[in-house]
Amino acid sequence: MDYFKQTLKTDCEDLLARFQATASVRFEEFSAIWREMKFSSIFYGILEPSEKKVFTRLVLSAASQYLLPPYSFQIRVGGLYLLYSLYTSQFNVPKERIRIALKDWDELIRFQQDAVNAQHYDVVYILKKLLSEQAVCFTAMPDTLSFQVKKKRVDRRQQLCESFVDRPTRPQELIGTDLLEELANVHEHYEGLKKAILPRPPQSNLSLVKPNLVPKLRSAVLTFCSWQQNQAEFGSPSDGDAGEGTSSQAHDESSRRAQLLASIKSRSYAQAVEASRSRRHRQIELTSAAQDSESTRQIPRFRKPPSLKMRTSSRFTAEGSENGGLQRTTRLWRLTAVEGEKTEEKKKRRFIWKERMRSEH
Amino acid sequence: MAEGGDTNAVNENVPVYEHVGVNSKPFHLGSFRDLWLSVLKPEDYSFNETSGEIEDAQFIEELGITPQTLEELKTICSPDSLRCHAEDETPDPDLVPANPQLATLKLRKRRLDYKKTLIRDIVGRHDMFSNELEMLSLGRRAEDASDTVPEGEIILTFNIMYPVLFVRFRHVRAYQTLHVLGSQKLTELRDAICCVSDLQVFGEFSNTPDMVPQFISKDHYKSAFFFFEGIFYNDMRFPECRDISTVTRDWAKTRGFPEFNTAKMEEATFSDLRMKVGYPYLYCHQGDCEHVLILTDVRLVHKDDCLDRKLYPLLSHKHRVMTRKCCACHLYISRWITTNDTLAPMDPCLYCDQCFRLLHYDQHGNKRGDFQAYAYVDPGAFN
Ligand SMILES: [Zn+2]
Ligand SMILES: [Zn+2]
Repeated sequence: MDYFKQTLKTDCEDLLARFQATASVRFEEFSAIWREMKFSSIFYGILEPSEKKVFTRLVLSAASQYLLPPYSFQIRVGGLYLLYSLYTSQFNVPKERIRIALKDWDELIRFQQDAVNAQHYDVVYILKKLLSEQAVCFTAMPDTLSFQVKKKRVDRRQQLCESFVDRPTRPQELIGTDLLEELANVHEHYEGLKKAILPRPPQSNLSLVKPNLVPKLRSAVLTFCSWQQNQAEFGSPSDGDAGEGTSSQAHDESSRRAQLLASIKSRSYAQAVEASRSRRHRQIELTSAAQDSESTRQIPRFRKPPSLKMRTSSRFTAEGSENGGLQRTTRLWRLTAVEGEKTEEKKKRRFIWKERMRSEH
Repeated sequence: MAEGGDTNAVNENVPVYEHVGVNSKPFHLGSFRDLWLSVLKPEDYSFNETSGEIEDAQFIEELGITPQTLEELKTICSPDSLRCHAEDETPDPDLVPANPQLATLKLRKRRLDYKKTLIRDIVGRHDMFSNELEMLSLGRRAEDASDTVPEGEIILTFNIMYPVLFVRFRHVRAYQTLHVLGSQKLTELRDAICCVSDLQVFGEFSNTPDMVPQFISKDHYKSAFFFFEGIFYNDMRFPECRDISTVTRDWAKTRGFPEFNTAKMEEATFSDLRMKVGYPYLYCHQGDCEHVLILTDVRLVHKDDCLDRKLYPLLSHKHRVMTRKCCACHLYISRWITTNDTLAPMDPCLYCDQCFRLLHYDQHGNKRGDFQAYAYVDPGAFN
């Protein structure tokens, strides 16, 4: 059954991309796309009853990842609608349920609160409906696990759909006017304290504190912001509204919604992936953004540092390249093997049952 | 720069991945259940349905909307809005529609078309069987109300692997799947695991084929243990039980491993355990018959589950093993195994009960020729 994983991902993301293009969170928009794609027929053509169950579990599991961060609020709404639609369209009796892990529950409640605050009644209604129909299975982990180490490692790489994720807004959010004001106060106070502990009035050329800290910080954030906008203009395909023939009133309505959505998006992002990236990493991103916006795009985000062995050997050869003789004599206590000196033993020996059995007889 | 709000410490009993997609970190199963119950409303996991009117009223009040708005929502979000065909059409759900657009359907069509080209279509007997198993237990309610599984109970799913029995089948991971309740004792799971090594009868019976004792290994050697998260849970229910984990623990001690603890299997319930989901553990019985055990799932019980406590541990999957047939009739499952048998085409040789007696004994029950005979239990005997 696992061979459907990739195609299910393709189908779900196709549907959600179309939903994203509507720039709406209305269920009408979603169900129109669902009908247009004839998505209900995804359950057609399965003959074995047990296969129906397994397939339903698989498709629900494929869809449920879009319900959670780091995906944007709109995609998460799409994910919720998708789960609801799949749940209601399945043929199983009793119905296969949507698995929610305990660790994701808080996230779902926050999502519901955001929807309530923004008065997205259809989102709240569907969420409540799923719960009251007991369509949710309260579990320990999102999927059942059976220690399939090798299999999972392959498909872990291609999981996140980048275009469904909001751009990071954490720096802008964190460094708002309030914070800058506060920081300016603290900074002033700090400078005053430093001056106070000096025995005599300081000379003008002695800098006690970093001057212009607040303006510098502000400009750094602004640079990051504009760099991000440039990136977006070049990078992403145009998010044209697909609103064909919408009346002016509806358009007004949707733009009001878009504003609301934007505020929610920024809020819902507050609990998103950012936590996994270290602060230090973000600092690097900020400064490099200020220096050169083009080159940063080419640099892979996570570059694997060279191994200890590599670093040792490169340092060793760089520092002591002139006395090669010395290297040869010191080989005994050296902990690493020199490049090109690999022996055949390096080849991994595999345990072969057949040989083992033969040797026993 | 303290961030307000996010002050609650991460609870270690909220299961999270240790290795993404492979297994979770260890957590206490009982506390995990309590955490779920603390964040849910009782009606979320109740076995009784709340009436629709009450729910509607709640929804209207919570969101401050008019009943008209709710009616509108109901129409917009109704399952009818998801129907992909005209109202007067009824497409056959057993057929992949012509010219499918979805990638999944294209793939399914390709696979179905390919399957048709095969001469032999193996409709797995096993699939039918596992389906039967699930149908048996679905929505079962206890006859006696006191046997009903309580609301908010947890169900654990274990996959129990069989040791490799034949070199031939080593790539087939034979296993059975059992569901147990959090309040059940570890011994209840042990008693539900069926394994041929429990059924062996020891001794040579060529002179007295009618005198094969009814005692099987299970009755002779009652010791067994589970190994979960560094603790050996020994079965000590009977006076003849011994702590067979001693050998392993002593060995580990001499090798500088940290000390392992022991506990009694009959005194621990699953809710008392700390375990990882998706991580291999061990069940050992008959001295050296070792089964890898994986807790694949933990979840709250649902009204559609089997709610009769007495039916747990509940079997939902059982691997079918090829049975070995009698070498004479090739029809019946073997019951005897002989060695040094001059009448046999091979050594050792398997016979069903009838062929064994007809071939090896005369009408007075006297042994013909010299051979040894042992009772044989086929691994497929549980099928
Ligand atoms: Zn066994
Ligand atoms: Zn026979």
